[in-house]
Amino acid sequence: MRQTVRLFGLLLRGYVRDRTALFFSLVVPLMLMVIFGYLNLGDFGRVSVAIDDQAKNQSSKQLVDILKGINTLVVTEQTTDDALNHLKRTELDMLVVIPSDFVIAPARPGQAVPQLIVYGDDARPQQVAVGRQIIAQVIDRLSFAVTQTAPVIAVKDETVQGVRLRYVDFLVPGILGVNIMQLAIFSVAFALVADKQRGVLRRIMATPVRVTNLLAAHVMTRLVIAAGQVAVLLLVALVLFNVTIVGGLIPLVVVALIGTILFLTIGFALAGWATSENQVPAIAQLITLPQFFFSGVFFSKNAAPELIRPVTNILPLTLLNDALREISVQGATIWDVRTQILGLLIWTLAGFILAVRLFRFEKF
Amino acid sequence: MPPIVQVNDLRKRYGDIEAVRGISFFVEPGEVFGLLGPNGAGKTTTVEILEGLRRADGGSATVAGVDVFRDPSGVKRRIGVQLQASAFPDHLTARETVRFFAACYDLVVDELALLRSVDLGERANQPQDKLSGGQRQRLSIATALVNQPQVLFLDEPTTGLDPQARRNLWDLIRDIQGRGTTVFLTTHYLDEAEILCDRVAIMEQGNIVALNPPRKLIDDLLARGFTKPVLQQKANLEDVFLDLTGHELREP
Ligand SMILES: Nc1ncnc2c1ncn2[C@@H]1O[C@H](COP(=O)(O)OP(=O)(O)OP(=O)(O)O)[C@@H](O)[C@H]1O
Ligand SMILES: [Mg+2]
Repeated sequence: MRQTVRLFGLLLRGYVRDRTALFFSLVVPLMLMVIFGYLNLGDFGRVSVAIDDQAKNQSSKQLVDILKGINTLVVTEQTTDDALNHLKRTELDMLVVIPSDFVIAPARPGQAVPQLIVYGDDARPQQVAVGRQIIAQVIDRLSFAVTQTAPVIAVKDETVQGVRLRYVDFLVPGILGVNIMQLAIFSVAFALVADKQRGVLRRIMATPVRVTNLLAAHVMTRLVIAAGQVAVLLLVALVLFNVTIVGGLIPLVVVALIGTILFLTIGFALAGWATSENQVPAIAQLITLPQFFFSGVFFSKNAAPELIRPVTNILPLTLLNDALREISVQGATIWDVRTQILGLLIWTLAGFILAVRLFRFEKF
Repeated sequence: MPPIVQVNDLRKRYGDIEAVRGISFFVEPGEVFGLLGPNGAGKTTTVEILEGLRRADGGSATVAGVDVFRDPSGVKRRIGVQLQASAFPDHLTARETVRFFAACYDLVVDELALLRSVDLGERANQPQDKLSGGQRQRLSIATALVNQPQVLFLDEPTTGLDPQARRNLWDLIRDIQGRGTTVFLTTHYLDEAEILCDRVAIMEQGNIVALNPPRKLIDDLLARGFTKPVLQQKANLEDVFLDLTGHELREP
């Protein structure tokens, strides 16, 4: 233990002095968050809705007008056929079909209630959810208007405008997840393969150091750096973007930690396998890039083509992002995200076995 | 006293290459032992087997009374090593580098005193990678001394150094010998072997072809009727170089 702590102290010192490593572990993640956060690149404060008004009566006009008046929605009127085409090309988030028998009137007992048909784009579930919620509330409000008294409307109005899932709220957990992955894999793989190539590991292995202690020191170094990275990102998210972590910081940090350990095992496996520094970026990109795009970092994980979604949905980063996002946005507890955590632990075990098999200190 | 290094019929091959072909020798405690040979003779292979870093294919070896094959980490605890090709962990100062290796032995040492003993006291807080070649070799020896080893293995310690730095390192090695440490070094500099070593083994294509004190090797050669084809010079170019640039070590 004493040996581990002493080695850890020195490795950490070396790491912190490495400007390049620090830049990639702290500055780049911040830049990613600020750029995407400010530019609102994946903005879905606005939901594009097509309406096919087949009723064209007083009530339907009223509904369409109200929907058009809501900032969050971009409303166009289209026929169902056109709109469905646009939907398929993800040029639209939703389609609302107002049936020809649509009325807003107190329902008489036994009478069939007119039904709105809502189509949503699978690839943008957040937008669709927001859109559905708004429409439901508008309908509620209209129903109230015919059945109840006026003041209710004002209250409802605020609620309707209040349904705003900001992009940064969605973005921050994704940024956390992707940076945990990058830091853990790249910092371990690059550093250890460089040590291997330059003969640092050979020199160390000429001492009676316990390999497990040395590895533990490397792991601890990365955990501290990862914790620092998470802290900085969260601080900026809270201060600059006013993000609220609904589920609280502790569950978020716990999941982040599990994720770090998972990706560290992959980093060690990669470092064990690679024999030259040139192999590292190629393989590391091969592992991280698909997850970068398909694991719901900047956009929904459902943006992945439907065909490969069964695979992308169980990628380590997808599980991590899901868990982080459910905690941060929806206020989930650790118990609520137990499925994702179980998945992460299974991946960790797999990574650990791979690392142990591939990492041979004696060879150096 | 029993030999401190004992090697018996040691063998090692890499695929088709027979790097070490059944060599046997021993090293006396307290001597400076030199393994001399051209590139590819098998010096590094031999030394790294004795250090517990490579596996032999046959034979046996003990270092400081410990069987190298059975208890490599027992050997590692008792020896100090300087490898032919190696580097130190990044971004540490000379002093922290010594501390790092002390931690590898789970020891606490007086780092500054150790650095002073290799003439690096002034450089303690300098980043390790900003040291000159000669300074780095001396730092390397300092890290090899953290555990007060019984045997110090040096694989080509003076390769790439200027004449002053070489002489400085020779002094250091004699100094270490004076403190009672056995030194096992490899070199392909004949003058180095002649000046520094108590006994020299000459290695050639995986075999040891001669093993004696340098003077004895030379006398034996002369006894075989050898005469140098060229006129013996009173001085050589190295003497000129040293005369012009001085004997002191160059420190920027
Ligand atoms: N890891 C290895 N794999 C394959 N062949 C090797 C390996 N290490 C050494 N050899 C070969 O074994 C032979 C002896 O190499 P070794 O490094 O022991 O020589 P050396 O005497 O130390 O040479 P030098 O003076 O150049 O350092 C050489 O032919 C070398 O190519
Ligand atoms: Mg060699």
